[in-house]
Amino acid sequence: MTTHSSDLAPLAQRYIEDVRVSDQLPGFELELGWTKMAEQVSGSQDFYPVHHDPGFAAEAGHESIFYNTGFTQAALCRVITDWTGPEGWLRKFRFEMRRMLVPDDIVQARGKVIDKRVDDEGGELDLEVWLETERSGVTTPGWATVRLPHRS
Amino acid sequence: MVRVEGPYDIQAVRAEWIGRKTAVIPGRYPVEYDAIRRHCHMVEDRNPLFLDPEYARRTKWGAVIAPPVMTRYFAGAGVWPPSEDGLRLMTEVPTRGARMINLNTEWEYLRPARVGDHLAAQLIITDVYEKTIRLDPRSVWIETEQRITNQDGELVALGRNTLCTHRTPEQVEQEEGARPQ
Repeated sequence: MTTHSSDLAPLAQRYIEDVRVSDQLPGFELELGWTKMAEQVSGSQDFYPVHHDPGFAAEAGHESIFYNTGFTQAALCRVITDWTGPEGWLRKFRFEMRRMLVPDDIVQARGKVIDKRVDDEGGELDLEVWLETERSGVTTPGWATVRLPHRS
Repeated sequence: MVRVEGPYDIQAVRAEWIGRKTAVIPGRYPVEYDAIRRHCHMVEDRNPLFLDPEYARRTKWGAVIAPPVMTRYFAGAGVWPPSEDGLRLMTEVPTRGARMINLNTEWEYLRPARVGDHLAAQLIITDVYEKTIRLDPRSVWIETEQRITNQDGELVALGRNTLCTHRTPEQVEQEEGARPQ
């Protein structure tokens, strides 16, 4: 049977033994064109006009529309789940939207391991994750705790 | 938001609203594939655990799971058709301005939300206070906690959120005598 998802490559499983403090999460890049703006509304189902209507945003005192919470947290979450692999588990997650992501920004989504604790079932890692742009630097710092299994 | 024009008493608002909670309200639909696909599309996420039912069936989760940050979405009613689902409690808090900026969000995820699970949410107002920001010298901030449970009553996620509400520059000028810089 032909499937529609056969081009989705499985992500590598990461194990607690593989990780050292200060390891980098490679992350990814997103270009915030106007099509991406439409995708953020579709994907988040957040129709508050400040995220898609330049006139509404200007009237509220903003220089531009800016990307919404749903998009922001989805990007940070992807940095983590791409890296942990299918048996990893995002246990805690928080982030601060300090600067705005606006049309024409190119966003770099990245992460770093800042602490590691091993236990019988595997271990926990504390991560820093963030979004940054050339225009604003780090716009959205985030912090997460993830669980990974043992290799054996 | 419920914008109060004229005198605004933050202490009275705090006394009336902090501690208010909604009932435990079920999401409109179960966790479903297509909403997960749209979520993944916006950040170009190709993780087969979220997108490929055959692959996900062979993992330890046994089924497609939602990206953890979607948990709240599936515990809600969505934006259409309009719903008076009670979780609008946060937007019923009287504020000086009707404009909103969502600031901090913190979640603890305890269980996966699998396709077919039916989630429910309860929202609690935990704090309301004033703070000066560039746009508004007396913006009103609202902190909330959300408890997401599944069809078995198990706690799936706990969330804490901070929302900033503010006035337009014109409203600030009218009510404060000076336009924000």
